Amino acid sequence: MKRIIFTLSLIFTNTLTLWAQDKIEVFPTVPYDRFIIFHTLAIFWIAIIGLIIIIRMKLKEIERIQKMGIDKEEKDIPLLD
Amino acid sequence: MNCQRLKNWFEERYDFEELKRLTKHKLVPTHQYEIWYYTGGITLFLFGLQFITGMVLAFYYIPYFEHAHKSIIEIVTKLNMGWFFRSLHHWGAQLAIVVLFIHVWSTLLLKSYRKPREFLWFSGFILLGISIFFGLSGYLLLWDERAFAAVRVATGGAGNLPIIGNFIKAFLRGGIDVTGDTLTRFYAFHVSILPLITLFLIGVHILLVQYHGMSVPLSLEKKPQKQIPFFPNLFYKDLIIWLIVLGIVVTLSTLLPPEIGQKADPLAPTPENIKPEWYFLFLFQTLKLFPGEIMGLNGEMIAIILISCGILFFFLIPLFDRKSSRGEKSFLFTWIGIIYFVYFVVMTVIGFLS
Amino acid sequence: MKINYSLITRRTFLNTLFGGWLLTFCGGSFYALLKFAFPTLGKEPDFVVLNTKDYIDIPSNSTKPFPWGGVMGLFFKKDSGTMVALKGVCTHMECNITYKPEDKKFYCACHQGWFDEDGKNIAGPPPKPLEFFDVKVEGEKFIVAKKGIKVELPKA
Repeated sequence: MKRIIFTLSLIFTNTLTLWAQDKIEVFPTVPYDRFIIFHTLAIFWIAIIGLIIIIRMKLKEIERIQKMGIDKEEKDIPLLD
Repeated sequence: MNCQRLKNWFEERYDFEELKRLTKHKLVPTHQYEIWYYTGGITLFLFGLQFITGMVLAFYYIPYFEHAHKSIIEIVTKLNMGWFFRSLHHWGAQLAIVVLFIHVWSTLLLKSYRKPREFLWFSGFILLGISIFFGLSGYLLLWDERAFAAVRVATGGAGNLPIIGNFIKAFLRGGIDVTGDTLTRFYAFHVSILPLITLFLIGVHILLVQYHGMSVPLSLEKKPQKQIPFFPNLFYKDLIIWLIVLGIVVTLSTLLPPEIGQKADPLAPTPENIKPEWYFLFLFQTLKLFPGEIMGLNGEMIAIILISCGILFFFLIPLFDRKSSRGEKSFLFTWIGIIYFVYFVVMTVIGFLS
Repeated sequence: MKINYSLITRRTFLNTLFGGWLLTFCGGSFYALLKFAFPTLGKEPDFVVLNTKDYIDIPSNSTKPFPWGGVMGLFFKKDSGTMVALKGVCTHMECNITYKPEDKKFYCACHQGWFDEDGKNIAGPPPKPLEFFDVKVEGEKFIVAKKGIKVELPKA
């Protein structure tokens, strides 16, 4: 199964190059710019993974609370104004 | 952050009790198939991304056939991160359609369309058609050789429908052939008409989900359901998955920015080996299967009629599948769903390789 | 020194961490979006180079417009024959001005502002005089520069 997927993806990426008509350079070719772009991509992934970790922490916390059964608000609780 | 005073300001004017009750009490079933529940949300997220990137791209794109191609090249070469946002829009579209197909087939195979959720299926199907049209209209806006030829084939194919075909073809093309008028028309569709209809239908679709709740697969329906609250548990899980999807889209856009071919020339001969976008390939390939003439009738017309029947059946599946409406397992329709899926994949792959 | 109690609750800690990180993330993404959505706001040029022959032969007491960045500039040949260049934009609300040869004054039609030959605001709402440029002849080219700017031509 894995081999099939692998060969399929290989064929896929190779056929993409068939459509390389007269190329208009899109991705910045200057090495300095390329470095910045990869750099930014890495920082972006770190930010996303950080966010995911924090959200997981919040999720674990709320699940812990719910398991203890203390997450429900009592009805008609007097407000502290 | 204590927004108590702000909250009080609102609560003195509006009664949020009902809304708060609904959000706190919304429950979602959890079981072994729950991963498929996320596909709808991912599609929604990707469409939101498309809206945002599309809006900023519209600041710079010129929808006049003489300048369209050049404006895209300007966006991609001259503007700050222009290439990135165009790439984001491109990959967002590709992924949105992939996830949309996953969503459609997961609901089909899990039979979420059965009673009482028929309208979810119907509205969803119309949304599917609209999304494909989004893809087609957006693709023409490139106004390069490949897009031009692809749209010519697509609108020409629609023209093969009996009786109404010519009307549809003329309506889509804005004339006899694909011209600058077609570009203007497709731009109007892509930027104004389709987004408004989509927003309305997505609203209906989501409201219906709130009304009916999440559908549970037939095999698990009879058993007692474990449920988890939507807020905040599933909301957090949704957020995590959306963030991962965002990461994937951004990575793809950065590493594989799309290219643009030569400017389209209506009078030039069609270049070799023109193919439509991948989600049209299965239709394209199906058309190729039919000979030019069958028993004296136009082969293409027969092909289109058969394809339309297939699509119509797909649309009306909730009405045909009586067994699942009654809550019984319906193996026939599971197989029909699998056949549709396999046909789509096989035809797409063949279309790709040929 | 270990303390027996926690300085902040779990909830506050998590919420602040989440909020802060989310804010930075959204802020960064939004910044990227804005950088794209806002075009590189045009700066006025420090100087422009024009062909002499296009402007040298205009009749006395008349003006000829030239492009100054995205804005209109005016070449002005006075009665005496001296050529000066000014920014043809009213100092009130930036409408384009015109020269009235009969009155020897510059007129702005938007709010009926008047400037004299030397650009001084004489009537109407304009608060400041018109901005004049330095004109230098360099072979076949005029170099029109902002006052006080030292022009360094790139070695072509």
